[in-house]
Amino acid sequence: MTRFVLRRLALLPLVMLGVTALLFALLQFLSPEMRAALYVKDPRQLAALESVIQKYHLRDPIPVQYAAWLGQVLRGDLGYSETAKMPVADAIRAFFPATLELTAAAFIPILVIGVWLGTLSAVRKDRWTDHLSRFIAITGYSLPSFVLGLLLLMVFYGRFKILPPGRYCLEVDLLVHSEGFTHFTGFLSLDAALNGQWGALADVLGHLLLPAATLTYISLALLLRITRSSMLEELGKDYVRTARAKGLPEGAVIHRHARKNALIPVITLSSLLFVSLLGGVVITETVFDFPGIGRWGVNAAQQLDIPGVIGQSLLSATLFVLANLASDILYAFVDPRVRIR
Amino acid sequence: MKALFKTLRRKPMSLLGLGLLSAFAAVAIFAPFIARPGAGARDPYLIPQDGYRAEPERPSSRHWLGTTEQQYDLYYGMVWGTRTSFKVALSVVLISLAIGILVGALSGFYGRWVDEALMRMTDVVLAFPDIVLSVVIVSVLGPGLFKVMIAVTLVSWPSYARLLRADVLSVKEREFVLAARALGASDARILCRHILPNCVYPLIVLASLSMGRIVITAAALSFLGLGSPVGYADWGQLISLSRNWILGSSGNPFEYWHTVLIPGSAIFLFVLGWNLLGDAFRDILDPRQK
Amino acid sequence: MRSAALCLLLLMPAPARSLVKNPDTYTYLTISDADSLDPAWAYDTASHMILLNIYEPLFFYDKDSTDKLIPLVAERVPTRGNGLISADGKTYTIPIRKGILFHDGTPLTPEDVRYSIMRFMLQDRAGGPSSLLLDPLLGFPSTRDASGRLNADAYRAAERAVGVSDGSLVLRLRAPSAPLLSILASWAPIVSKAWAIKNGDWDGTEASWTRFNNPSKNSSPFFTRANGTGPFQLERWDRKNKEFVLGRHEKYWRGPAKLKRVIVKGVNEFGTRKLMLQAGDADAIYADPMVYSELVGIPGVDIIDNLPLIDMNPIAFFTFQIKTAGNPYVGSGKFDGRGVPPDFFTDKDLRLAFAHSFDYEGYIRDVYRGRATRATGCVPKTLAAFHPAGRAAYAFDLARAERHLRRAWGGRVWETGFRFTLTYNAGNGARQTLCQILKRNIESLNPKFQIDVRPVEWPAFLDAYQAGKLPIFIMGWHADYPDPHSFAFPLMHSKGDYPTIQGYGNPAADRLIDAAKSEHDAAKRRAIYARLVEIEAEDVPHLLISESVRYRAQRSWVRGFYHNPVFPDSPWGGYFYTLWKQQ
Repeated sequence: MTRFVLRRLALLPLVMLGVTALLFALLQFLSPEMRAALYVKDPRQLAALESVIQKYHLRDPIPVQYAAWLGQVLRGDLGYSETAKMPVADAIRAFFPATLELTAAAFIPILVIGVWLGTLSAVRKDRWTDHLSRFIAITGYSLPSFVLGLLLLMVFYGRFKILPPGRYCLEVDLLVHSEGFTHFTGFLSLDAALNGQWGALADVLGHLLLPAATLTYISLALLLRITRSSMLEELGKDYVRTARAKGLPEGAVIHRHARKNALIPVITLSSLLFVSLLGGVVITETVFDFPGIGRWGVNAAQQLDIPGVIGQSLLSATLFVLANLASDILYAFVDPRVRIR
Repeated sequence: MKALFKTLRRKPMSLLGLGLLSAFAAVAIFAPFIARPGAGARDPYLIPQDGYRAEPERPSSRHWLGTTEQQYDLYYGMVWGTRTSFKVALSVVLISLAIGILVGALSGFYGRWVDEALMRMTDVVLAFPDIVLSVVIVSVLGPGLFKVMIAVTLVSWPSYARLLRADVLSVKEREFVLAARALGASDARILCRHILPNCVYPLIVLASLSMGRIVITAAALSFLGLGSPVGYADWGQLISLSRNWILGSSGNPFEYWHTVLIPGSAIFLFVLGWNLLGDAFRDILDPRQK
Repeated sequence: MRSAALCLLLLMPAPARSLVKNPDTYTYLTISDADSLDPAWAYDTASHMILLNIYEPLFFYDKDSTDKLIPLVAERVPTRGNGLISADGKTYTIPIRKGILFHDGTPLTPEDVRYSIMRFMLQDRAGGPSSLLLDPLLGFPSTRDASGRLNADAYRAAERAVGVSDGSLVLRLRAPSAPLLSILASWAPIVSKAWAIKNGDWDGTEASWTRFNNPSKNSSPFFTRANGTGPFQLERWDRKNKEFVLGRHEKYWRGPAKLKRVIVKGVNEFGTRKLMLQAGDADAIYADPMVYSELVGIPGVDIIDNLPLIDMNPIAFFTFQIKTAGNPYVGSGKFDGRGVPPDFFTDKDLRLAFAHSFDYEGYIRDVYRGRATRATGCVPKTLAAFHPAGRAAYAFDLARAERHLRRAWGGRVWETGFRFTLTYNAGNGARQTLCQILKRNIESLNPKFQIDVRPVEWPAFLDAYQAGKLPIFIMGWHADYPDPHSFAFPLMHSKGDYPTIQGYGNPAADRLIDAAKSEHDAAKRRAIYARLVEIEAEDVPHLLISESVRYRAQRSWVRGFYHNPVFPDSPWGGYFYTLWKQQ
C-alpha cells in the first residue's frame, strides 16, 4: 500500500515536469522577441527588447532556457497577466475560488444523479427507464455546453428575466466589497451564509444555478455510463446470485451488495469527471460571464495574454494530476487487489 | 459486417445515428448545388453578406433560414458549415489515429523504455482538459480553422495510442504472433500483418465516439473567437454570432431564436449521429455489453 | 441588509415595477476600462470620463454650451473686460476659490493649482496631453526634442509662466492664445501637492523634475489612486473586472451630489448591457449606433437622440513605421507573404487600395442607420465656421482598389501577399464591423492577402498603438477643446498625436496648421484648412469614415442629464453631479 502510494507520488513530479516541458515547447512557437515582449510592461521598453532577451536567456540553447523558465515557474513567477492586470499567481488566487465553487456545485449533483440513474438503468436493463436514462446521457454527451448554456439563458433570463449571468448582482458586489463583509473562505455562498447575508446567499446561488446545471448535464453521461456497466457486471456475479437465492430483498441486494462494489470504478472515474469539469468551465464560464479561471483563460487567449493562458493551463493540469493521484490512492484503499500489485 | 446490419436493425437508435449522418453527408456533398456560391466568389466557405445591419433577420423567402448578426445568410452558412464539420472531424480523426497507431504500436510492441517514454508523453497531454490545451495551442499558433485542426489533433492522439498499446500488449503474446516470430518474420511485418489487424475494432469504436468530441472542441474554439474568422461557414462561428441576440427584443423574448437554435441543433444532431453510431459499434464489438 | 433584499427581486419574475431601483446608486455600463487615473497621463475618453467626476479643472462649460465658461476652482473667468486678462492678452490672473476641500479633507490652495499645472506640463509623457498646455504657455509642444533629449530649460520656462500671487494664479504667455481658457476647462485639473509628495510623486522642485518626466504608466501614485476635489471620490477600481465604484464627496463645495454612489462597469457584450438596462440594474449603457432599434420601445427606457458631437469617429490610421520586434500583430514582420515589413504602409498605392476597399455608403446606412455623413476632411462639420466644403476623396470601388494593389510596391504586394492583424477596441461593434468589411473586401481581391481581426481591451489597445505595433488601427478623435486646431494638429501635424505614432509628416501640412492656429479671421482660417484637406486626401495618412450624431439610452427615472459635446464619453457617460433618480 505504502509502496504503491510512494510510486504514484514519485511519478507526480515526472508528469508535472512533462507538463511544463510541453507548455515550454509550445512557447517556442513564438520568436525570442515575442517572448521577450511578454516581460515588458512599459511599452516604451520595447526598444530595449534585446536586453530582456539577454536577461531571461531567451536565445540560449533550449535546455538552458527551459531551466531558467522552470526556475521562474517553480518560484511562482508566472509573469504578468495583461487581461487580469495583475501577476499570474495573484490572478489564479483571485479567480480560482469562483471556479472551485462552480465545480463543486456541479460535482455533487453529477455524482448523485449519475449513480442513481446508472443503477436504475442497470437494474431495469432494456426497459424504458434504461432507454430514457441512456438517452439523457447520450444527448448530454452530444450537446455542446455553449449551445445548452445559451438556450438556458434564452429561456430563463430572456423570457422569465430570472437567473442572470455573472457571479452576483451589483448590490451584492457592493456588499461583498464592503468592510462589514468578512471573507472566511473565498467561496461566496459560504461566506454569505457565514456573514448571515441570506439575501446575498440566495443571489449567489441563483447565479450558480444555470452554469452548474449546464456542467451537470453535459458531464452526467460519463458517470452514468460507467455506473451502469459496472453495475451490470456486478449483478451478473455469483455472490449476487447467491444473495438473491438466499431470498434477500432485491433492494438490499442492489444497494448493499452490488452497488458497493460497482462504485469502485466510479471512484477512479471521479478524477476524470473532475478534469471534464475543468474543461467544461472554460466554455460555461464564458457563456455565463462567470468570473473564474475558465473565462480568464479565454479572455487571455483572445487578447494574446500568453502568460495568462499558460498560467491557467498549468493550473488545470496540476489540479488534474493531483486529482488523479488522489483517486488512485483512494482506489487503493477501497480495492485491496490494487495493493497486492 | 453482417453483425453490424443486424444490430442496426435491432437498435433503432443506431439506425437514427446512421440516418442523421447520411443526411449531413448528403448536404455536405451537394453543398455547391443546394447553396450556390455567388459568381466570382473566391472561397465558397465565405458566407454571402447582405448589408451590415446588426439585427438578425427572421427566415424569409430571401433568406430561407434568416440571417445572423451582420446579415450573413444562415442557410448558406449551415450548408457549407456541414462541409467544414466533416472536413474538421474526418481529418482530425484520421491524423490523430495515424499518430496514435504509430505511438501505441511502438509502445506496446517494444515495451521497456520506448513504452515508458511514449506513455509518459501521453500522460502529459492527457493531464490537460482538451479545450484548455487547444486554447493554449491556438493562442501561440494564431487563429484560423487550420490552426484549430492542428490543435485538436494534438490533443486527440493520446487516447488512441493508449488504447492500441493495451491491445498490442495482449495480442503480441498470442500463439500466432509467437509463431510468426519463430519463423523469423521482421518486426515491421509482425506488427503490420499480425498484430494491428487484430487491434483495429476497438479503435474504430473510439474513433467514431471521439468524432463528436472533436467536432464540439473545434466548434467551441470558433465560438470563443479563436477559430475560423467571422463570416466563415462554421457552425461554432455562427453560434458565436448569436450571443448578442439570445435575449430577443423587449416584446418578444424569442425573436431571434433561429440564430442559436438552427446552428445549435445542427451541431447537436451531428455529434449525436456519431455518438449513436459509436454506441452501436461498441455494442457489436464489446462482448461485455452483450 | 436592504441591499441584499433588493437582490432577491432579481430572482423573481418582475412585472414593470414603478419603484426606482437603487435610488441612490447610478450604474453606467460601458465597454472600456480606464487607462490611467493620472490627470497628466490619461489622454483617452474612458479615463477622462472618470477624471471629470473626481477632479476639477479651473473652469467648466456652462451646461451644454461649448463656448460659455463658468468658474469652478477659479473664482472668476478672466476676460479683458474684468481686467483679469491683460491688454496685450499675455497675462492671465485667475483668482482661486477658497473653501474647496480635497477628498482627504485638506483644503485646496493656489499652490496646489500651480503645482497641478506645472506637473501636467512637465510630466509630458510621450503621446500624452501635456502639449495642450506646453504649447500655449511655454511656446513649445514638448519638453523633449525629436531625439528624446530633455530640454533642460523647460522647468524654468514653466516656473516663469505659472506663478501664484495674492491668492491668484498668474499665467504669463509668450503670445496670446485664444483657446487657453477652454483648454483649462477640461485639462490640468487640480491635484493635491501634499498628497502627491506624500505618495512619492514629484515634489515640485527643479532638482527632481527630470526624474518624473515621461514616466511609465504604473510608476505614478496617481495611476490607480486619486485625491481630487470633484463631486465623487474613488472608492474602488477593480481593474480585473473593469469596474469603478465612486462614492459621493460629502464635503463637496457646491453641496454633495444627489447620488450617493456611481458604478461604472465594463461589459463587452451588448446583450448583457441591454438586459441589465431593461431590468433596471443599469441606468445608462454604452450602445453602438447599429443597435438603436434594439433599445427603442423598452418600457422604462428613454432614448435621447440626435446629440451632436465634436469628434471624428471612426478613423483607420496607417502606421508608416511599424515596430515589428516582438509584435504579434504583424505576422512574420517581413515581406514574405506571412507578415508585413515595418515600412509596409509607406506605399501610397497600398493606402489608396484600402481607401477604395471600404463600403462607406453601406456602412453609414447599416451601421450608423443613416444618421451619419461621410467625413470629408480633418475638420469636423460640427465646427461649421471652419469646415471647408468638399466631397469625400475616395469611393468604394474594388476594381480601383485592385489596380492600386497590383501597383503597390512595384507589384510585389500582389505577387507575395501579406498577413497582419487588424485590431479594434473590444466591445465597440461599429469599429468591429469596420474591420470586418475591410478584411473581407481586401481578402476577396487576392487569396494571398490575409487580415486577421482581433478585439483588444482598451488600455492594451492604447499601449499597442502608441508603441507603433498596429499596422492599421481604428480609433476616433474627440475634441480636446472646441476648435479646429484640436483636430488639424493631432490628425495632420507631424508633431501631432497620431502622426508622431504613425511616422507620418508633411512639411506643407505643418506650415498650414501653424498658420491657421494664429489666424483670427474665420473665413481665412477656413481657406487654410481647405488646402490642408487637399493634402490629407493626397497623402492618405488615414481613412476618415463618417461623422455622426449619437443617442443615449437611459432609464426614464434618470433625471438631470444634459449632453455637452465636449464631455468625454458623452452622451453615454459624462458628468454625474447633476444626476438623480426619480420616477
